[in-house]
Amino acid sequence: MDFAWDVDREGDVSLVRCRVRNDDAVPRRVRIESRLDAPVLPPRRGGVAEEGWDEGGVTLRLAPGERRALGFAARAQPADPPVEVAEVTAVDPVERPGGSSPTDADDGAASATAAALQRLGDHRPPRDAVAGTADGMSKRGGTDDSDPQTGPNSPPDDGVESPGSSAAPASPSGEAEWFGAVDAQLEAVEARIDRAERLTDADVATATEVVAEVDGVEELSGLDERVAADATRLRALSERASALAARAEATDAPVEALERLA
Amino acid sequence: MILAVAGGKGGVGKTTLAYNVAAALDAVVVDADLGMADLPGGRGPDLHDALAGAADPIETLRAGPVDIVPCGRTLAGARAADLRRLEAAVAAIERARGTVVLDCPAGRRADAGVPLAVADACLLVVSPRAFALADAIRTRELARELDAGLVGCAVNRVTEEPPTGAIADALGAPASVVPADPRVGRSVVEERPVVDTAPDSAAAAAVRELARRVPG
Repeated sequence: MDFAWDVDREGDVSLVRCRVRNDDAVPRRVRIESRLDAPVLPPRRGGVAEEGWDEGGVTLRLAPGERRALGFAARAQPADPPVEVAEVTAVDPVERPGGSSPTDADDGAASATAAALQRLGDHRPPRDAVAGTADGMSKRGGTDDSDPQTGPNSPPDDGVESPGSSAAPASPSGEAEWFGAVDAQLEAVEARIDRAERLTDADVATATEVVAEVDGVEELSGLDERVAADATRLRALSERASALAARAEATDAPVEALERLA
Repeated sequence: MILAVAGGKGGVGKTTLAYNVAAALDAVVVDADLGMADLPGGRGPDLHDALAGAADPIETLRAGPVDIVPCGRTLAGARAADLRRLEAAVAAIERARGTVVLDCPAGRRADAGVPLAVADACLLVVSPRAFALADAIRTRELARELDAGLVGCAVNRVTEEPPTGAIADALGAPASVVPADPRVGRSVVEERPVVDTAPDSAAAAAVRELARRVPG
């Protein structure tokens, strides 16, 4: 890292200029800190401090061979040296918030896009927000397993997710997820019914056991109503599901014949 | 020519102006607000699908009084959208149709920055309130860093004489006043641009003036 500085006194303000050059063959992130005894007054445009500056100094990202000139002011006596390079770290040249690069994106032409992505926060809604909706789709990163909505047929994580049920509501993976969610719901209902069954005509020992399992009798309040509601809903669902199953079995769409004709 | 209509703050009328300016430019308007689409949707593939690599950008064009590239409305679609595909998608639409107007989201996150990075020029929308101007100044800084030249700013939904001089000074671009007009407000939902429905109105004149500032 090639580094030079210069300091001027103007009234009670010190004006510091410096020049930094990355003489390595790889991109570097450089932290330059003020040693003056007052907060850094960073360069501003239209009243907005430039990117990378804070009270202590500036953090820059320098491409190989890149040279940058900087300046700031501070209400303090000049010091010698007024600035120092506090930290130099290597930067992964392909480091991007979006993860791996899509196969068909034009990397060279997308440099302005890459710069915007690097500098700005991720726009995507949090995964938890997506998982909470009915059409929750596949996830990124290694925490996928914790998500109950991830079906076994979820697409593999490659940083680019499939377009979701908005585009393909009847896609096989969407359907698998839907059935997965239904299964999860049915399991929750089953757990409630189990509990209610064990409490039906139960002796004191069994009842005590169930109450202990759920951390106190308050947890059981409303169980009878909920199980009754479960019964009504399950009955309706079962009637509709069996009617649909019967209709599904009765169909015989001549798709192959149509395809031959087409 | 790719024009981004941005403004930093939400609710200042970016979508309405993007739609109406696109009408005056005979351009395609792209709903680039990935998380909160505003332009009319429709059946068929949308920008989410194009950015997820699941649809050809040209297939997302939807014909109308102003041709629209709608954006999906699901969070899952917004998560699946890869902004690195925006540049190529918008370039494909520009090649096919000429001028493209990008309706940008509010804020200063990547979904607001990438359309500015992709655009050749930008138009800032501010409301006559001071806090909207603060957001517009931040967006102007962002646009400058991302090389989207500012062609003008629209002071939108004006009911009384606004400090246009101060706004133009603060943003460093000519400010056009778009008067409050219910026909402008309805134009997007009804898909009836004000330059067509009320060509003699002051609002239509302001929209045409903004469109004239766009080079090319």
